Order: sequence, then C-alpha cells, then structure tokens
Amino acid sequence: MNGWILAATVALGAGAGATLWGVATGPLRRRVVAQNLSTALACLVLLLLAQGYDRPSYVDLALVLALLGPVGTLVFARLLADDLAEDPPRAWGPTYLVVGAGAAVVTALCVATGPSRASAKLLVVGALLIGGNVVASRALSGGFSGLRRG
Amino acid sequence: MADAVIIVALLLVAAAATTAVLVRDPVRQALVLAVLGVLLAVLFTTLQAPDVGLSQLAVGSALTPLLLLLTVRKVRRRGRKEGPRR
Repeated sequence: MNGWILAATVALGAGAGATLWGVATGPLRRRVVAQNLSTALACLVLLLLAQGYDRPSYVDLALVLALLGPVGTLVFARLLADDLAEDPPRAWGPTYLVVGAGAAVVTALCVATGPSRASAKLLVVGALLIGGNVVASRALSGGFSGLRRG
Repeated sequence: MADAVIIVALLLVAAAATTAVLVRDPVRQALVLAVLGVLLAVLFTTLQAPDVGLSQLAVGSALTPLLLLLTVRKVRRRGRKEGPRR
C-alpha cells in the first residue's frame, strides 16, 4: 500500500461518505449539489488509484467520468428545473473546494509522471473535470436561464 | 492493509444501496442511484476490473438517472392531464 492508494482511501472514505450523507438527507437543492460533487470526487479517486496501482490505462476511467459526470448533473438540472427554480442551490464553497482539490491532485500526478504523453492526458482530464464541474454548478444554480423551459 | 481501499469502497456501496432502498421519492432515489453507480465503478476498479467499471460508469452515472427522470416526468404529466377528469 503506497501513498497514492492511501490518499485515494482517505478521499473515498471522507469525501464520498460526506456526499452520500448529503445526497441521502436534506432538501432537494442540497442533494443535487452532493450528487455533482460525488462524481468529481470519484474522478479524483480514480486518478489516484491509477497512479497507485501503476497502471496508466486506468486513467481512461477518470476521463470517462470527467466527461459523463457533468452530463448526469445537467440531466438533473434540466429535468428538475421546475423544482429547483423555487429553491435554487447555492453551493460555490464546496464546488471551489473540490475544484481546488482536483487541481492539486492533477498537479501532483503530473509532477510524479514527468513530462510525457501521460501527463498531457492527465492535464486534459483535469481541465475537463474542473470545467465540467463549474458548468454543472452554474446550471444547477440557474445560471443558464434560457434552458429553463422544462 | 492493502485491502483497506476495497473495504472502504464496499462499505460505501452497501450504505448507498441501503439508502437507495430507504429513500421513497423516485426523484431523490434517482440521485442516490447516480451516486451508487459511480461508487460501484470505483469498487470495480479497486478489484482490478476496470473494463466492468467503465461500462458501469457509462450506464450508472448518466443513463439510469435519465431514464428514471423521464419516466417520472411522463407519469406526472399523465396524472396532471387525467387528474381532473376522475
């Protein structure tokens, strides 16, 4: 068990546990935010696991999740627009926390792998993760009012 | 000690699945199911089955919630349309 897997275990236990609690209790606005954050956290855990197991091909999972996680959140934002319009979620604090953690993890992994094609792929995953998360959070809090015809 | 991450992932999957059963509103159930799908993908990865995890990610994170929410919406609309007639 190396440091990467240890970091992945801690992130999975603390982060996914917190998002699971958030998605299980409370009002609907908190649940959608927790669902969004859970995909970003799982993406980070998958990146750390890929480095920990020393299998660069596992990064594909994180890439797919970085693409599909925001898509899932946008599905919720679109189809629950009526419910969320009455009580819009405002959770920029946790969003920026996860985005900062994502930037830190991707930077650490890039330093560990060194300049190569693998680190370029990691940077792409990080950019997708951060951009997708910010877009999904903005959609949840009603940033794209043109889409609200649900 | 190397199995700690597997144990944590297993516990989280068990907790998420129990929550998905206990939550009664279908919309909120879809949210819990999305989290459960992502956690299952992480569990498959820790068990060295990334190909299974890949398909689980594709199905669990976006497709299942989409189908559930579309179904809920259709049922609600039909109920609203036929409600006053009854």
